Amino acid sequence: MESRNSLAEISYVVSRDVNNLLGRPFVVISRTIGFLVQFFIFGYTVGTLVRGFNFYQYYGIGTVITTVCSVSYLIGHDLFDEAERGVLDYLLSLPISRRTLIIGRALGGAVRSMAYGTPMFIIAMSFLGFRNPLDIAESILALFALAFGISGLSITVAIAIRNEERFDILLSFIELMTVRFSTALYPWKAMPYYVSAVSNFSPVTSTAGIIQSSLFSSITDIMGWGALLTFVFAFFALSSAFYYRRIEGGKYK
Amino acid sequence: MRETIKFRDLTKRFGETVAVDDFSLDVEDEKIIGFLGPNGAGKTTAIMVMATVYRPTSGTVEVEGYDVTLMPERVRELLGICFQDPKFDNRLSIQSVLEWHAKVAGVPRELRVRRIEDVLKRIGLWEDRSKKGFMLSGGMSKKVETAKVFIQRPKIAVFDEPTAFLDVPSRLTIWDMIRELRDGGSTVILATNMMDEADRLSDRVAIMDRGKLVKVGTPGELKQSIRGGEVLVVRSRRPQEKVIEEIRQMPEVVEASYLEGAGVRIYLNQAGRLVQQVLAIFQKHGIGVENVTIAQPTLEDVFLRYTGRSLDGK
Repeated sequence: MESRNSLAEISYVVSRDVNNLLGRPFVVISRTIGFLVQFFIFGYTVGTLVRGFNFYQYYGIGTVITTVCSVSYLIGHDLFDEAERGVLDYLLSLPISRRTLIIGRALGGAVRSMAYGTPMFIIAMSFLGFRNPLDIAESILALFALAFGISGLSITVAIAIRNEERFDILLSFIELMTVRFSTALYPWKAMPYYVSAVSNFSPVTSTAGIIQSSLFSSITDIMGWGALLTFVFAFFALSSAFYYRRIEGGKYK
Repeated sequence: MRETIKFRDLTKRFGETVAVDDFSLDVEDEKIIGFLGPNGAGKTTAIMVMATVYRPTSGTVEVEGYDVTLMPERVRELLGICFQDPKFDNRLSIQSVLEWHAKVAGVPRELRVRRIEDVLKRIGLWEDRSKKGFMLSGGMSKKVETAKVFIQRPKIAVFDEPTAFLDVPSRLTIWDMIRELRDGGSTVILATNMMDEADRLSDRVAIMDRGKLVKVGTPGELKQSIRGGEVLVVRSRRPQEKVIEEIRQMPEVVEASYLEGAGVRIYLNQAGRLVQQVLAIFQKHGIGVENVTIAQPTLEDVFLRYTGRSLDGK
């Protein structure tokens, strides 16, 4: 056997997820079309209805954030598909630690989210007139951290639930709470109080805050970064402490 | 002979279903052990617990001294599994699937390319290496599944129904390759419900039924364990009753009776060794013998004898 380290093992797991995504061009194409419609038509139309500030810029950035987020949630569904086809049994039989497998899958989910989130982001940035490379780099970094955390969350929930129907319901609820109850698509001030209260705890709000702060004012949102990284590390702690032990093969319900 | 794998009082339940029930077995190093039993016998579940994919409900499995629940990562480093149903990413090409598997299994870079080419050529998939998984027939998918293990050459190789869906020439090739794997130092677990596969390939056979280990031994030992399992048919003119009586006096003979038409049918053990003695009795009484046939018991007969059911579950 070739001697290996955890980083090499993680890279194998990540490469598998990325290759699998590239093997599904129709998923990429349909989601890209969805983004383009939302950005160029829906976003532009809504932007013209709001007076007082450039809502199109705000909404356009939010569209990229929410698209990356919803793509990151997909990896949990992939886990059910793999369990159904027995591929999960195969992955669990490989000489890779469970922790490495979960981290690798979360990173794989993040990398593939970014693989088609980044071109969308670049399109949005150039169209909306943002040119500062440092601000754009910080924004992409924040998007990646969000994608990593959300992918990990999705995997952890799938392992904990092992029932696709319940997983769908719970994940839809979590997605609603994190994406729709966030400041990605509409500002905090415009929200009803019960939505704004929830939005403070959403990692999507933190990410939106970092990106908006960086792009609109070239300021690093320290609080936002703190909240986002806390979310990512909380997932790590949770999966390391408990959930990775629960992974078992066989078909999920 | 050293024992590589030790199953000890292993039980695995899925809800109310007991898939493996108090299963204990030692697997010898560098041998092929056949797990023979009908569908639902618990073969695959026992293997999945050994492979750390399922957690045992109770009992233990040790692989090369490593407990599967305490040191699962060390156990997985030793294993290569050909699953019953092919389990690989069907959006990827055959070559990509095998390259990824070899990489993850720790096959050194310089060996990967050569082994993949050698194995694919041998199993007749080299020309199809660019085809994606979803384009493959059942037989081709099964070959890819087996190829993963042949390329990996693990210390413990597991084949779960390795020749299902395969034509006869392919089946013989896979059998040869499994034997070569053993001769190269691997311990092989072969789970099958095909009696001839277990018989031809296995050094020892563990018969399983309803989650339990029913009987274990070499194919020869198992067949000999059926008292009166062999049938010696001697065709001749109708012998006198005293000939039949004399044959019945032989300790290895369980039963002897007149054959319909003419001759004698004898149920016994070690027929090959005793045939001369039986013919001598005929000769002594002046009865000419036309021909002699010996029917050996099969593992199917062994299974039937110990479980009261046939391998197809009837």
